[in-house]
Parts: sequence; structure tokens; C-alpha cells
Amino acid sequence: MIGAEFIINTISLGSLYALVSLGLVFVYGILKLVNFAYGEYVMVAGYALYVLTAFTPVPWYLTMTLAVGFAALISYVTELVAFRPVRTKSLTAMLVTSFAVSVFLQNAALLLVSPRARAVRLPSWFNRTITVFDATVPLRNILIIVTAAVLLVGLTLLMKYTVLGIAMRAAADKFTTTRLMGVPANLVISAAFIISGTLAGVVSIFWVGRSAAVDPVIGMAPLLIAFIATVIGGMHSLTGAVVGGFVYGLLFNTLSIMLPASVISYRDAIMFVIVIVFLLFRPEGIVRGSYTEERVG
Amino acid sequence: MLKVIDLHASYGAITALRGVSLEVRQGELVALLGVNGAGKSTALKSISGVLRPIQGSIRLLDEEIANKKPEVILRKGISLVPEGREIFTGLTVEENLRLGAYTSYERTRYQNDLEEVFTLFPILKERFRQAGGLLSGGEQQQLAIARALMSHPKLLMLDEPSLGLSPTLVDQIFELIHSLRERGITILLVEQNAERALEIVDRVYLLKTGSLEFSGTPEELKSKLDIATVYFGGASDAEREVSL
Amino acid sequence: MSTGMRKVSDVLKHRSTLVLLSVPILLGAVGVHFFASSLVVSLYTYFCVNLILVLALQMFMGNSGILNLTHVGWVGIGAYVSSILSVPPAVKSMGVPNMYPALVELSLPIVPAIFIGGVVAAAIAAIIAWPLMRLSNAVGVITLFATLIVMHVVMTQWDNVTNGPRTFFGVPFFTTLWIALAGALVTLAAAHYFRESSLGLRLRASRDDRFAAYAMGVNVVQTRYFTFVLSAFVAGIGGGLWAHYITSFSPKAFYIVEIFMLLTMLVIGGAGSVSGAVAGTAIVTVLREVLRQVENTLSLSDMFNRDVYGLTELSMAVLMVIILIWRPGGVVGGREVAWPLLRARRRASEVASADVASDE
Ligand SMILES: Nc1ncnc2c1ncn2[C@@H]1O[C@H](COP(=O)(O)OP(=O)(O)OP(=O)(O)O)[C@@H](O)[C@H]1O
Ligand SMILES: [Mg+2]
Repeated sequence: MIGAEFIINTISLGSLYALVSLGLVFVYGILKLVNFAYGEYVMVAGYALYVLTAFTPVPWYLTMTLAVGFAALISYVTELVAFRPVRTKSLTAMLVTSFAVSVFLQNAALLLVSPRARAVRLPSWFNRTITVFDATVPLRNILIIVTAAVLLVGLTLLMKYTVLGIAMRAAADKFTTTRLMGVPANLVISAAFIISGTLAGVVSIFWVGRSAAVDPVIGMAPLLIAFIATVIGGMHSLTGAVVGGFVYGLLFNTLSIMLPASVISYRDAIMFVIVIVFLLFRPEGIVRGSYTEERVG
Repeated sequence: MLKVIDLHASYGAITALRGVSLEVRQGELVALLGVNGAGKSTALKSISGVLRPIQGSIRLLDEEIANKKPEVILRKGISLVPEGREIFTGLTVEENLRLGAYTSYERTRYQNDLEEVFTLFPILKERFRQAGGLLSGGEQQQLAIARALMSHPKLLMLDEPSLGLSPTLVDQIFELIHSLRERGITILLVEQNAERALEIVDRVYLLKTGSLEFSGTPEELKSKLDIATVYFGGASDAEREVSL
Repeated sequence: MSTGMRKVSDVLKHRSTLVLLSVPILLGAVGVHFFASSLVVSLYTYFCVNLILVLALQMFMGNSGILNLTHVGWVGIGAYVSSILSVPPAVKSMGVPNMYPALVELSLPIVPAIFIGGVVAAAIAAIIAWPLMRLSNAVGVITLFATLIVMHVVMTQWDNVTNGPRTFFGVPFFTTLWIALAGALVTLAAAHYFRESSLGLRLRASRDDRFAAYAMGVNVVQTRYFTFVLSAFVAGIGGGLWAHYITSFSPKAFYIVEIFMLLTMLVIGGAGSVSGAVAGTAIVTVLREVLRQVENTLSLSDMFNRDVYGLTELSMAVLMVIILIWRPGGVVGGREVAWPLLRARRRASEVASADVASDE
């Protein structure tokens, strides 16, 4: 029996996952880089939330804004320091770099804070449950849906109606030709990293809000979700990322309900197997998209 | 206006240009001819900054531009219409043109430029809100040229604008190039269609496997050289004569 | 010139890479055996074991250019299989209480156990690798990563076989300095001959230009597939040797931190050549040991008032990015060391100087 609760929770999970995978695809679309450090942008925003809530009297809305800004900043800095210098090298060099950046940020958290989880206290209304359509769900889940809707509309407007957005879409299609129009390569790439980091920051608020804690490896789960969702949805368009996020959320919730307790611990493995098998039949994902695989050089 | 001296360029181990020098003067229409693989596109890519030359100097109005980024070179005033048109297929005609005006945008000027583009290319007005990928080959070529003109270049470089077009469209394109030249735009033209190109250009450079084979006026070239060798690159008597 | 002399000079000419790499490794082992403390002997043994794992990674990744994150999973399969086969039943029933009875009863000598570990790893690789080798860049990398995670989930959850996330202990010690050395030298020769073999050449052609390789009639997917399975076999054997050196381990040992360490060794040395793998393994093994000492010293000092974690990995990550920026071919630079030494150096720099426009 599919109730209102299942539907709302699935839409909310799908919204979160859509944001997660959108952040990854923004960079992939332009740089053709699968960014292993993406999960760490979620992690650093989590630590910003921890520091701000535990050690400062900053009000919640400012806390959240600063955390999102911090993730965007770290994302931008990693682009500047690590990705930009290796951009013209081989694709594998870029991938290995992103792996190294991920390890660097994780171990920086380990070194600077602690290997153990830290509690993050967000305002209590964040986790209060409310009743809509006969379904009792956490307010947080409704907020995710609203936030995702606002962000998706905002990003659509940005991509469609601003020059930067048009240039970013062009760069995802034909990077070199976009530069021939006078669009600076570094501008679109930096913009992609900043948007990516911003999305990771927003995701972090809800992710950390749910678990009420942050640890150095918290970025792993969102990274995997982003990977799998984008692969399902299609790596070559922003729409694909959003579709993939929702499909993944649905798959996850359905498996959680349907799998017997004895195999629930294999849930992630089962999902990946489903995805790998799916890819055999449709390597380009659900949405084909128009982005090419042209490397940025 | 443009002065290229002793340009060398390569793709990894493959050397594509070995010491090419050429010049384009203000208001001139100059053709760069040669068989497939001669290095014509490589020369244009090097000038526009897409490819970093190994050696040599490229000067625009006495300013050295070799090794600069493509976006910087565009701002200096060189606009390239790349081989194969390179339309942004997912963007509308409008968006393609808007990007063309990326460096020169200013609202009223942009509107005027659009009007001018529409008089030159009426079809683009009809297709204004369509995706670039939905245009026909000839329409795409017009869009590519229009897009390059939007930045008000000092020098326009066209890489095989007639490639893959039907004979009537080829005529149109050559007429267009001619009329652009009449408007005072300096043009460096790469063409396979040597016969047609020779009809409209002021001067010619002939490339062969990465080196200059000839430079001069179209008449000089015609008198020295059987035109077939320009097409097929076969070693004829006339060609041996040229290399003397 | 006498025939003996000519033979020596022939070997130097055609096999100079192999000689130049294996002689120092051999001499190092002898030197360590006679003159160094047991700690250094142990470190050198570990270096040899790591070298096997890195060379196996080089076989596939270095020649195909594909970032293979599953590598450490094959190491894990080799380690578990050879341990399950060789640990005495009494020890197993105590150490892994939930193990399937059929597995508990198994008892093989160590050498065949290690070999079977390699075979099992190769067999599983052979079953799953075909579709993986077909996928393009980005999707391929993600799928390989997902495969590593599936392997990790199975290792941590299947406690009837692996003891779950808990430590699997009681593995008999077998991998002495000489055995590790022998393994390393054999693998070195294998990786070297593979690189020069027709399979290796075709794979490298596909790395440098996939479409040109297609055009030359190279079946890229098939080439990658065979190499992947071969690499998994060597990794499985290496995993067995590793297990019989470490003697107790948990699934954590076959996950992100470890694949990162193996990658660091390969990338810092230079993934494109066997020489790079050797140099990188040596550099990183020493460096890591030094950094661990620093961590320990800092943990004991009053400066931080707590244990210091992560400094090693953090430094390795920084070093790796610096290498990728300044010397993307690694310390060795993509070519094999060869006799005479200087000629190889010069050719490598010529290749490095050819580049396409970037944006400096
Ligand atoms: N991306 C590339 N990678 C490697 N080699 C290339 C590349 N592009 C061109 N070449 C080589 O460089 C040489 C010159 O090529 P170029 O494209 O400049 O020729 P072209 O004169 O424009 O020919 P066409 O008339 O066919 O367009 C050729 O030998 C070609 O094979
Ligand atoms: Mg060309």
C-alpha cells in the first residue's frame, strides 16, 4: 500500500538527491571531471555548521548562509589551487587530483577537529513533525521540497536568461568554441565550481540536519548518491541529473520497504548492481542530453 | 595588420607547421590555400590561440599575440569561424548571437548589430528562437559567420566556409564574403574551393605539408601553376617550376 | 670481444631496464638482510609486497590510462581466499565463529592457497569486467568505483566468510624478506614483459589514441579486458602474500585509504612505466614511514594534547597534486630507465615539451 507518507518522503528524498547530483553534474558538464572531492564540500559545510552552532551565538539563518558560503568557497579554492593547474593534463590526471583533494580535505578535518563525530544542533523546529494530507512527516522533509523547487527554478532562470548561464551551457557543449567567443575559460569553470559548492552546502544542511552530527567521512554517502543518480539520469544534461536524483530516491525508498530485514544491510550493494546492469542496456542514462565528451584543454 | 613570422606548430609528435610566414594588410581579403592536411586549419588555430605554437611570432597591429589565450585574442580583434561551423546546437540562434557579442555587448549597439545581421542573413531572423542544431548546413554557416561578426573583429578568419554546401549556397557564401570585404572588413580565408576563392581575393598563400609553397596575387598563381595541383597536390611540371 | 662479454652487453642492451631495476632491489635486500635492524628488514619486506601490488596496478592502469579503483578489491579477494584456505580449522572456528562449516574444514598449504587466491580474483574479474571495459570515461570511472563499494559491502557484511567488519586473524606468517623479494622480482619481470608484449603495446596504443587504435584494428575492449583479468590475478597473488605478511586484517584494508596509497605510489613514480612504479613505491614507502614517525612523535608531545591522525595521508595528497602539476608523468616521466641512462632522459623531455594550448 502506497500512502501519502511514502509519497511525500519519496519526493523529499528525490529532491535532496536531485540537488546532490546536480552539484556534481555542473562541474562534470563543463570540465568532464568526475569530482571525487564533491562529497567533501558537503562535509566542510557540515563542519561550518558545527563550529557556528557550538561556538558562536550566530542566529540560525546566518549559520546556514555562512555554511553554504563556506562550501562554495572551498569548492572554488580547490578549483584554483588543484584543478586549474592540471586542467590541461590527461583526464586520469584530473581524476587522480580530485581523489587527492578528497583525501586531503577528509584528513584535514581529521587533523584539525577529530576522527569522531561532532554533534550539530540545528533549531528544533527543523526536525519537528507535521501532518499534511493525513501523513505525519518531519518538517525538514517539506523544507527540502520547497528549497529544491526554489533552487531548481532559480538555476533554470540563471542558465536560460543570463549571459553567464548561456556561456556555461555553451561551454558544456563546445568548450574551445566558447572561448573563441571571448568567454574566459576560467570564468565558466570557476562559476561551475561555485555553483557546485553552493548546492553541496545546501545539501549539507539537510543531511547534517537529519543525522544531527558531522564526521570526516560524511561526504562519502552524498558522493555515491550523486555518482549513481547522475549515471542513471545521464551525465550529459542538467535535466538528467535531476531525473536521476528522483529515480534514485524512489528506488531507495522502495527497496527499503520491500527488502527483507536479513538482506537490508546489502541494500547499497543491491542498488549498485541494479545500476550497473541498467548501464549495460543504456550506457548514456535515461536522458541523453546534448553535452559532448570533448575534453577541456 | 596581421603578421605571422616563422610559425611552427605540432600536435604531439605530428608536426603540422614548419616555419610559415604570412601577412594580411588592413582591408585585404587574403586566401590561404592547400590540399587536405596542408596545415591551413592549424595556422588559423595557432593565430586564434586555440593551439599553442612551438615557435614563431604572431603580431596583430604590432602587438605580439602568440601564446595568448583564445579569449584574449578575440578581445584584441581576431575572430575565427572554425572549420565545421561549431554552432552551439543546444542554444537558440538568439543565444548563439548573444555569445558572439559577449565582449562587445551594450544594449543599443547590440540591437543595431542584430538588425544589421538580419539584413545580411534574413533567414536568421526567421529562425531566431530555434535551436542552432535544427538549422540546415547553410543556415548554420550563416549563423557561424554572423556570430563571429557580432564581436566587431578587426580581422575575420574563415575556415572553409563553403564546405559541404550545395553549389547555390556556395555562390551565396562567396558573394557574402565579397560583400564583407567591400564593407572594409579584413579577412583571412581558408578554402578548398580554390578556383572560386581566387576570383575574389587580393592575395594568395599556398601551403604544402606545413610550409609555404607560394605567395602572390591570384593572377601570378594562375600563370605559374596548373590549378589542378592546388586541388590534388600531385607533382606536375608546373609545380616543379614554382619550387624553383 | 669474447662471447661472454657479448652476452652481457646484449642483455644490457635489450633487457637493460629489467637489469637496472632488479639488481638494486636485489642488492638492497641483501644489504638489508646482513646489515640492518629487524625493523628495516620488515619495512623492506613490506616494500616488496607493495611493489607487487603497485606493479599489478601499473599493468592495467599504466598501460590503459584508466583509473582502476577496484584494484584494491582484488587484493582483498586474494587475501581472504588464501587466508580461508590456509588457516587451520581450529583457529578458524574460533576466530570466525559464523563461518560456513564447509569453509572451516578447508586446509591447504600456503603456496597453493595463495595461488588459488589469485585464480579466484581473476575468475571474478573475468565474470564482471567485460561490461565495465565497454563504458566510456566518466561512466566507466563511476562504475569501477561503485564496483569497489559493492566489493567492500560484501566483505563487511558476509560474516559467514570474512568475519564481517571484524578482524580476521590467525593467518600464518609466510612472507619473509626472500619470499617477498622473489615475488617482487617475478612481478617486475612480468610487468616489464607485458608492457613490451603485443597485448601491452596494443593497450598503450588505445591509451594514447583510442580512435587511432580502433582504426589500426585493435579491439580496445578485448585488450582492456584481458589485461584487467591479468592484473586482478597478480593483485590476488599479491593480496595473498600481503595477508601472510600482515597475519591479521579487516575489510578496511581494502578500501579507499589503501587504494589511495597504491595510487600515490604509482602516480608519484609515473604510471606510464614499470620504472615509475618501482621508484614511486620506494619513495612513498620511505616517506610514509617517516611521516608515521612524525605523527607518533607529535601525538606523544604536548603540542596537540591529543593523538594526531591524518598527517600522512594529507601530506601524500599534497605531494601527489604537486607531482601532477609539475611533472604529470611522475618522477620517472613515462619512459623506462634504459642503458645508457642519459639517452632515456633526453627522449622523455622531448615528449613532455609537446603541448596543446592551455591558459597560462
Ligand atoms: N587534433 C589533431 N591531432 C593530431 N593531428 C592533427 C590534428 N589536427 C590536425 N592534425 C594533423 O595536422 C596536419 C595539418 O592539419 P590541418 O587540419 O591543419 O589541415 P588542413 O590544411 O586544415 O586540412 P583540411 O583541408 O582537410 O581541413 C595534418 O597532417 C593532420 O593530420
Ligand atoms: Mg582544415
